[in-house]
Amino acid sequence: MVDIELKRDRLTIRFKTQKWEWMIEPRYWRNSILWVALLLVFPAVSYFVSPGLINTMISANLLAAIAIPMSLMTLGTGRVNFGPNFYVGVGGYAAALLSIAYGWGPVATLPFAILTTLFAALIFSPLVIVARGLYYVLLSLLLPFVFFEVTVIYTDIFKGDTGLFGIKPLMDLGNAKINFLVLAYLSIFIMISYLLIVNKIIKSRYGLIMATINDDEEVAHGIGVNINKVKIISFVFAACLIGIVGWFYAHYFSSFSGQTYLTFTFMLKIFLAMMIGGRTQIFGCVVGGYFVAFLEMFLIRTMGPMQAFVFPIILIIFLFILPEGLFGIYRKRRYREYFPTIHVRR
Amino acid sequence: MWVYIQNLLVYTFILGSIYLLVALGFSIICGVLRIFHLGYAYIFPLTVYGTWMFLTDFGWGLIPSIFGMVAVQFVIAFLIYKGIIKRYLDKELEMLVGLLLLTTIIEQTINYKYPMQTGVYLQTELIKGTTQIGSVVVSTQLLVGSIIALFLTAIFVLFFLKTRTGLAIRAISQNIYSSQIVGINVETLYVFTMMLVLVPVMIGTLIIAPVWTVDPFMGQIYMFTAILVAVLGGLGNMRGTIIASFLIGAVHAVMCFILGEPRFMTLSALVLVMIVLVVRPQGLTRSESLW
Repeated sequence: MVDIELKRDRLTIRFKTQKWEWMIEPRYWRNSILWVALLLVFPAVSYFVSPGLINTMISANLLAAIAIPMSLMTLGTGRVNFGPNFYVGVGGYAAALLSIAYGWGPVATLPFAILTTLFAALIFSPLVIVARGLYYVLLSLLLPFVFFEVTVIYTDIFKGDTGLFGIKPLMDLGNAKINFLVLAYLSIFIMISYLLIVNKIIKSRYGLIMATINDDEEVAHGIGVNINKVKIISFVFAACLIGIVGWFYAHYFSSFSGQTYLTFTFMLKIFLAMMIGGRTQIFGCVVGGYFVAFLEMFLIRTMGPMQAFVFPIILIIFLFILPEGLFGIYRKRRYREYFPTIHVRR
Repeated sequence: MWVYIQNLLVYTFILGSIYLLVALGFSIICGVLRIFHLGYAYIFPLTVYGTWMFLTDFGWGLIPSIFGMVAVQFVIAFLIYKGIIKRYLDKELEMLVGLLLLTTIIEQTINYKYPMQTGVYLQTELIKGTTQIGSVVVSTQLLVGSIIALFLTAIFVLFFLKTRTGLAIRAISQNIYSSQIVGINVETLYVFTMMLVLVPVMIGTLIIAPVWTVDPFMGQIYMFTAILVAVLGGLGNMRGTIIASFLIGAVHAVMCFILGEPRFMTLSALVLVMIVLVVRPQGLTRSESLW
């Protein structure tokens, strides 16, 4: 039987041997609710004040939505994948090709985009077991470029140089401004869902196992953890979440090009969202995503073509002056969570 | 058939030698500092556009412009070492992302000052015209460049094998702590290595600049080749780098001149690297030492 127990600060639900707890003490969820409320109000205010900001907000949400699973992947595999944009490409191209070839809408292409990313991730998942250190960096770094090469070689299929056009839009409500508004809320939904799912995983027993693997694989193996299984599951699951963002990009812009998503520039943006936000801290990824997207937009509007080199200059300064990222400034006052170390070489 | 073999041999030699120039520096950094220098790509456009800047904006002659560019390269390499590599040698993610950002800054600054449509032509041709070897006609510039590449590599190998400084650098590449114990000044040699590796890249870029396309983002594809060569050869081993350069050169020559599919050049080299890594995960040679 389900047993529900209400205590002063929490609601506990028990079913057989399982237990779920939900904190109802305001000090635990007040800040989160405030931040989510701010995120939800922002597009509505922008709709009336400056509709252009909605577009930037969608970009920020999507960057954060890639950086969050990327953090999970880094934690669960104990390695840094330098090619997260490969899975954006796989998900995006799967959705784009199906939509163009069969005239499918976003709902029909979503499961196939996920399946294709799952398949691609499964194929490359042995890398997290066999490749170590700089070899893993290299192989993961080269994957998006190889994929880009393939899109250029088979340009009759992928249109590698010009990009695929004519993909069914994600939403068509007859008014461009309302479309953008609804898409902004959809992107917030995806980003917050990722945040909740990944946060739940990291805070669970499974997250503890992942943290052990991240800190010391041999110790994890010694205490009986099936490290290969955990690594592959983390890798494939995070890749699928990233692939969904690729699907969103394809239907959002009604076009998809390897030139945009499979290059150094896009990979660098994802890394900066992750690093400047808070070095694999998943809440920091949201801060980082917004910082990178809005800084870029601000510089484009104020500096024109000069932004191309001013943007990376500002980012490199922030990368070096904030050792724990922007979220670290907030986190220092609440230093109680596990802070993973990132391993490039091991 | 004989024509195909001639093409294969000549272009394996030429492409392999040029790739050796491109990758030698990257491989040495991998071997000595034990890092992936993801900022390596900036050296190529800075060589071309730095020389071009002194030529056109300062009105200097070609030789003084090249020396000016070399000075700029050395200063930037020194700053990169002090500002990024030394500070973040233990925090590699920061270092790698920082190096990538730095490359972006330099590439974008060059692109801002000299956009792609600006016609940049360096008159660094050593010999004009073409040369016929058997039934194969090749650019004389590339042929001479290939010979220079081999000569330069030989000098590097001799430097590392026969001089005390080379011995000290090899010691660092094998065990940094033991090197410090026997009194080697590791930091000075790191800076020296950072500057030394610029030499083959700058020479290689100046040789290919009049023959191949140059643009502010040209470094990325050369760095891609350098990474493939370094990994195939065994991260930082010069012997492996030499073998890997010619292997990749041979694969490219087969794709271009035997199969007639130049589109598959990069992909085929990558497939070769992947196959070798599956069979020998450490690369063709051991990466524990420079030679």
